[in-house]
Amino acid sequence: MRLNRRTFLLSTAAATALSVYAPAMALAQATPEKGGTLRVAIDQAVSVLHPLLSRVNPEYLAAELLYSSLTRLTVGMQAEPDLAMEWNANDTLTEWTFKLRDGLKFHDGSGCTSADVVASFEAILDPKFASPGKNNVGPIEKVEAVDPQTVKFTLSTPYADFPAAVAYNNARIIPASVIAGNFESLRSAANGTGPFKLASYEPDRLVVFERNPDYYDPARPYVDRVELKVFPDLGAQVSSLMAGDIDLVATVEPNDFMRLEGADGVDTLRAASGQFCNVNFGTDIAPFNDARVRRALALTIDREAMVDFMTEGFGIKGNDTPLNESYSFFKALPQREADIAEARRLLAEAGFPDGFEAELIASDRPAIRTQLAIALREMAKEAGITINVRTMPHATYLDQVWTKGAFYIGFYNMQPTPDGIFKLLFTSDAAWNETRWNNKAFDALIEEARGILDPVKRTEVYTKAQELMHEDVPSLIPSFFDVLGAKRAWMHDYAIHPRASMFRLDFAWLDANSPTRAA
Amino acid sequence: MSASYILKRIALIFYTLFIVSLLVFGITQVLPADAAVMMLGENATAEALEALRNSMGLNDPIWMQYLRWTGGVVQGDFGTSLRTGQPVGPALFSALGTSLTLAVFSLTFMLALALPMGVVAAIQRGKATDLFVSFLSYIGVALPEFVTATLAVLFIADWWGILPPAGYVPLSQNPVEGLRHLVLPVVVVSIIMIAHVSRMVRSELVDVLHTDYIRAAHLKGLSRGRILLRHGLRNALLPAITIVALDVGYLLGGVIVVEEIFSIPGIGRALMAAIQARDLPVIQAGVLIMAATYSIVNFAADLFYAWLDKRIQYD
Repeated sequence: MRLNRRTFLLSTAAATALSVYAPAMALAQATPEKGGTLRVAIDQAVSVLHPLLSRVNPEYLAAELLYSSLTRLTVGMQAEPDLAMEWNANDTLTEWTFKLRDGLKFHDGSGCTSADVVASFEAILDPKFASPGKNNVGPIEKVEAVDPQTVKFTLSTPYADFPAAVAYNNARIIPASVIAGNFESLRSAANGTGPFKLASYEPDRLVVFERNPDYYDPARPYVDRVELKVFPDLGAQVSSLMAGDIDLVATVEPNDFMRLEGADGVDTLRAASGQFCNVNFGTDIAPFNDARVRRALALTIDREAMVDFMTEGFGIKGNDTPLNESYSFFKALPQREADIAEARRLLAEAGFPDGFEAELIASDRPAIRTQLAIALREMAKEAGITINVRTMPHATYLDQVWTKGAFYIGFYNMQPTPDGIFKLLFTSDAAWNETRWNNKAFDALIEEARGILDPVKRTEVYTKAQELMHEDVPSLIPSFFDVLGAKRAWMHDYAIHPRASMFRLDFAWLDANSPTRAA
Repeated sequence: MSASYILKRIALIFYTLFIVSLLVFGITQVLPADAAVMMLGENATAEALEALRNSMGLNDPIWMQYLRWTGGVVQGDFGTSLRTGQPVGPALFSALGTSLTLAVFSLTFMLALALPMGVVAAIQRGKATDLFVSFLSYIGVALPEFVTATLAVLFIADWWGILPPAGYVPLSQNPVEGLRHLVLPVVVVSIIMIAHVSRMVRSELVDVLHTDYIRAAHLKGLSRGRILLRHGLRNALLPAITIVALDVGYLLGGVIVVEEIFSIPGIGRALMAAIQARDLPVIQAGVLIMAATYSIVNFAADLFYAWLDKRIQYD
């Protein structure tokens, strides 16, 4: 095999990836071939193309095809060069400088320079535009263009994970002229630096992309066209894959996964991940303001059964912290197991010798939320706790319960770093402070870890933070899900990303068996 | 049929649509979701939300919002989708076009099968053919379209690989692929209607064939085929038209399920997606458009009825 920069990147990605990927990557040794149309099934409409406004996985995918970021994440969650070739920080990790590639071009032929990067980040942070990425790109205080190819970020606090943070789904680079002019115009049109150009756009049916001949890597992308086809019915996605009408189903459910495992010409894809469904406590509302009550509930859970029931075995046990082996800087704590006697003792100590009754709210999407609520209801019965499960439409839930409620079900994708998930959900200044736990010692640890480059020390600090959460239980995290997908065997060099919202389709290629290669 | 009757009926359609507009607007107002939150998402600041509410007029009294909305609708402006930021009208009318394509093919297919089935069953009354047709139509009535759709996908697409299991290709883009993708949805939508209509045609035709004027026609020495078509079927068909018009109502509901399963971007799917995303302008406009379609089809059926049977006089 010829070793060039691309194959080198792939092999390092494989080396850093989790052992789960190893077989998939080992198969991907052939030289990529060019041509064909890659047909991808997605389960929701691409309601907006605007990369700064996208909010769901199909929209992230469209934005990733059309636009680039400063960096991007490998399947091993490491930042690798995208528009930026290299980057470095000052000693205190508060100033980060990114050097852009030579000769970058937007799809309309105009040059992409540091001015566009500055304008894009300022737009992401500007409350006026309400970008969902506002809280995910790091503690940026100031961003400035040093010269046309150099951008300097000044941060309000040290942040070792900054190169991974700028790979966030919404942190795409768009032309400064659009931001100064008609920002909204990118909802249904596109002008990016990504590997593909927009060919046609029907939000609820089909989005077509064509290879960008001016992409910064002349070798990529390998396919001529990408088609995103909307299939709201999950069964129809799987049927179409089996019929060979599509090449890739980005995410499949466990029962469909099992159905596809034996199918001819189909490869199932699976990766361990930090994705979880959790039970949130409003830690400022009785009875959940008492840590003993929360711990008692945690002790009623049979986690092995929970993994089987929630994930059909495609997952691992959780330990009431949002981290697992899929994250960097992770060290496992002793596993919490069911202990009904201890749960009853804690409840009595907290003043509930006969248990208590509470309403647990679950939104109807995805259905797994209700499943968790019902499983917890049955397990908690043994300790005398009566849980009444109430399901409600997702929009109502977001409006009335989410981040406000006392006892409700959450569902989250894996984040790029431990800092990402802690700052998203659990610190006092979290973007979505679901539990109002507001633990000062915990906040201080997360803040401290941001300034540490040494992996061993960072692991120590995050382990302390995990211990605090494990002890105080602001949220029950009983199990983690593997992310599952499926593709045709004629599609190569695609590994399912543990983030579930990243796709890297510019590396994928189709061999001569693909029906779209013939034309 | 007088001109004043037609005018009265048209006025009635507008009255119906007015009531529907009040209902749908009222219902969407009490839905527990804030349109500004839906638009800006979870990370929106309070100031941004307030500014958007003001610019969208969400802080105005409800009657004012209603007047502004209906004022726009009358001028053909259905507002802007909260989900996509695009005008609602063009998107919904293009989706309606897709649904109507499906509906027209389904109605044609249904009539092409249901009429002969009903006629044959009536002529062969009590014989094996009649029983077989009755048996088939009982099965058709008993199976809801989400069951037949799933079975059709499983057998015809998954196992035998004859037809594509899902998706939609506009006929204008590629007629062959477009038709291939339409076959399964059309068959699924038609099954219940075939059952309804063939049973109706059979029972009406059986009644008609026992009337005195048919006996008179026989005695006059007319040919069997002529009696059946000119005298029998023409009279038996009238109630069938009513059933077909009512079935259009079913069609509008049934396509929601079928469009969802077969991934057809019609008005049913547009409504489903809008309801899930609490995209209020699309819900309001979609319901209004469906109500208008239903009213117009029933009106057309009444006119057709009068045209077929000159004895029917509306006034």
